[in-house]
Amino acid sequence: MVRHIAGHAAQALLLLVGVVIAIFCLLQLIPGDPVQAMVGDMPVPPALRAALEQRFHLNEPFLDRLFGYLSNVVHGDLGYSMNYRRPVIDILAERFPRTLLLAGAGYGFGILIGIAIGIHSAVTPHRSVDRGWSGLVLIGYAMPTFWVGQLLVIVFSIQLGWLPTQGMGPMISRAEGVDWLLERATYLVLPVATYTILETTRVARFMRASVAETLEQGYIVTARQKGLSRHEIIRGHVVRNSILPVITVMGYSFGTAMGGAVLLETVFSYPGVGSLMVEAVRARDTQVIVGVVILIACSVVVMNIVVDLLYAWLDPRIRVAAAPR
Amino acid sequence: MSGIVKWCVAAASILALFGVDAGPAAAQAAPKRGGTAIVGVSVAGATLNTQLTSAVTPLIIADLWASGLYKYDKTGAKKPQIASSWDISEDGKVYTFHLRPNLKWSDGHPFSSEDVAFTLKSFGQYNTYLVKVLPNIDRVETPDANTFVVRLKEPQSAALEGFDKEVFPLMPKHVYDGTDIPTNPANRAPVGMGPYKFVKWEEGRGITFTRNEHYWDQPRPYLDSVVAVFIPNVQQQQNALYRGEIDVLRPALPQVGRAIEQAKAKHAFDVREIKVNAAERLSLDINITRDMLAKPLVRQALLVAIDRERISKDVYQGLAFPAMNAIPEQFTMLTDPSVDYNKQFAFDPVRAGKMLDEAGFALKDGKRFSLDLTAAVNADAFYAEPAAQLIAANWRAIGIEVKLSLLEGQLWTNKVFKERNFDVSMVSLTARTDPLFGVDRSFLCNTSNVPYVNPTGYCNPELDAIAAKAAAVPTPERRQWYKQYEEIVARDMPHLTLTNARKFFAISSRFGGIDEELDLAFNGNPSMSNVWVK
Repeated sequence: MVRHIAGHAAQALLLLVGVVIAIFCLLQLIPGDPVQAMVGDMPVPPALRAALEQRFHLNEPFLDRLFGYLSNVVHGDLGYSMNYRRPVIDILAERFPRTLLLAGAGYGFGILIGIAIGIHSAVTPHRSVDRGWSGLVLIGYAMPTFWVGQLLVIVFSIQLGWLPTQGMGPMISRAEGVDWLLERATYLVLPVATYTILETTRVARFMRASVAETLEQGYIVTARQKGLSRHEIIRGHVVRNSILPVITVMGYSFGTAMGGAVLLETVFSYPGVGSLMVEAVRARDTQVIVGVVILIACSVVVMNIVVDLLYAWLDPRIRVAAAPR
Repeated sequence: MSGIVKWCVAAASILALFGVDAGPAAAQAAPKRGGTAIVGVSVAGATLNTQLTSAVTPLIIADLWASGLYKYDKTGAKKPQIASSWDISEDGKVYTFHLRPNLKWSDGHPFSSEDVAFTLKSFGQYNTYLVKVLPNIDRVETPDANTFVVRLKEPQSAALEGFDKEVFPLMPKHVYDGTDIPTNPANRAPVGMGPYKFVKWEEGRGITFTRNEHYWDQPRPYLDSVVAVFIPNVQQQQNALYRGEIDVLRPALPQVGRAIEQAKAKHAFDVREIKVNAAERLSLDINITRDMLAKPLVRQALLVAIDRERISKDVYQGLAFPAMNAIPEQFTMLTDPSVDYNKQFAFDPVRAGKMLDEAGFALKDGKRFSLDLTAAVNADAFYAEPAAQLIAANWRAIGIEVKLSLLEGQLWTNKVFKERNFDVSMVSLTARTDPLFGVDRSFLCNTSNVPYVNPTGYCNPELDAIAAKAAAVPTPERRQWYKQYEEIVARDMPHLTLTNARKFFAISSRFGGIDEELDLAFNGNPSMSNVWVK
């Protein structure tokens, strides 16, 4: 198992270097001018351009910048942001936990609810219930995230006035302790709910298909003939076996899920890595863009390792096969 | 149907604007101290220092922490700030500013005329507006701590417009002297002479300010603190205003109609128009080096073919009007109405077709020539795509084949200004406080590839000379020169000015002193120094 994971990590490292080089080349090919982005829609005075280009090494040859950056990354330095005027690593350290909280909560709720809906939908004896669930899931799946977000804001913030419209908390707050946590939580409800709807529909579709397939397996027929109750069959045989493919899909779609955070954070003015990415692209803040990509790539790698471990835990066959002989 | 709805919105907005004046009772209530205001803004970038940027968010925030020698009131007249008065010598070459005595910076350090001289000497070269005045400055003098003198080489009455709060916010010498100015950390943690003092910047969230105890205009400000919160999405800005999460907002124009409706329904905030705003004009740069666009008659025909009334109504929801000529209507002392595009080049597709026939582009198989129309479609440029679509439809109707290239801002900048690889480019440009700063750049000769400066290839030394004269002569004489300016532009038409947009602020009704707060013009923004919590 350890060797298996080490192999994965080595592969991931190569992948990361490739990703960094690819992004660097892409950013080189796209026209963009960070100095103009800073000044706005007016001409940049020559003296200002010269000073900033010199200070931020904007005119150095491409290969020098690429190798300089790679060597910095190897030394644990992700560079310096021109737009925020501080080290990229500090910015990521501040922003990533927020996105992780948002995406993690949405992802977690989404998987749990999605699995429940998928199972119920597949095992229900009533065709109309199955169709109802499938219809709902399809509608949810078809709705764009930003639209769902806006819709929830209109209903729960504007019409009902229960929840704040955007942000991650009040800028000035006198709340402390539990009150502070509750205050912050109200700001998370709508973005997390939006995220959950997105993830739920994704999971539910896979789970339903997977359970339907498991139900046709021979061992289910055997279990039924053994006289096990419906409940025992579903819990002991169906769920465990059906969940494996779903975990694979969810693990590999974690990157996509992080991408979903970009839209979601923009809709809710939530200051995570998603809105950081949008700001960085607009400002052509190259080192931040590459930093965010590295961060997301790393989190996908970690997620894949987690998936491997989960697999081994859920399925003894894999544990045995991976063990050193 | 949608036309009717928009007409109603426009009518409602006009009614609302007349109806929101605070009654005499509200005006008489005495100001009191305390409370916080929250200002909604879009996202701020690398710097807050408006000597170095002209982006909208830093401009809005600058009114909180910065002061200038003077600012503009709602009629566009100059209103003293740090300079209590100023005189101009007979020959128009010497400006003498008399500064208020015994002032302090927000960090408590004493202020003097040395700071003003330092600001001009050290920031001038980095300031997009002042670089136009700088070559004409002979020297600056500080005869005493409260007097600042600018000596020009040649008279240039427009130069005085370069010393207002928006263009020339005062900078502390003790913070910047001997440092690398463009990267000084104070650009993100400013020290100024404004009503509020910078406290902290929480990236992606907002910036907190507290009352500046050393503010020159005591007993102002009345509020304890002001917070600028970042809300990039304009829809969410409006939602936050409606919910009372923010108190002040400059709503994006498409949101203004809804804001006015909500204001009437909820009575929680007012929406007011800034009558003398910095003109924000939708314009087309025409690449005159292209064969089919080389003749002025063709370029005039392109203008005649565009239904600018419809762009104003549909794209700007009635909150813009068809522009009259090259010099914006907001410069009431400068623009001359004898050149009026709405009469000379009124929308008339049949006439436009005849003009093109005359220019040698008769219809062949239903087609005259083809061109590429490009524009930047950034999130804040709500007008870009619909306006480009309308213009393309207008031109197609008279037999011009139009290919639309709607690009991300930086790609568009590269195509139009750096590579000059375009036929027609659409852009919305601000005219700022004087034609010298915001209008000349679209028409005067330019061989550089600097973005937002005339990319058309048009170069007319006669116009350049008239522009210089118009900026130089005493103010009462300027109009006659701008008349000639307008006439040459109307004749040669390298850059078509289409519409001129209006400007609004929404402000919470929980404040008193709103009238005084919104006594501003051009690029001015609420400084929040005049309002108090009722």
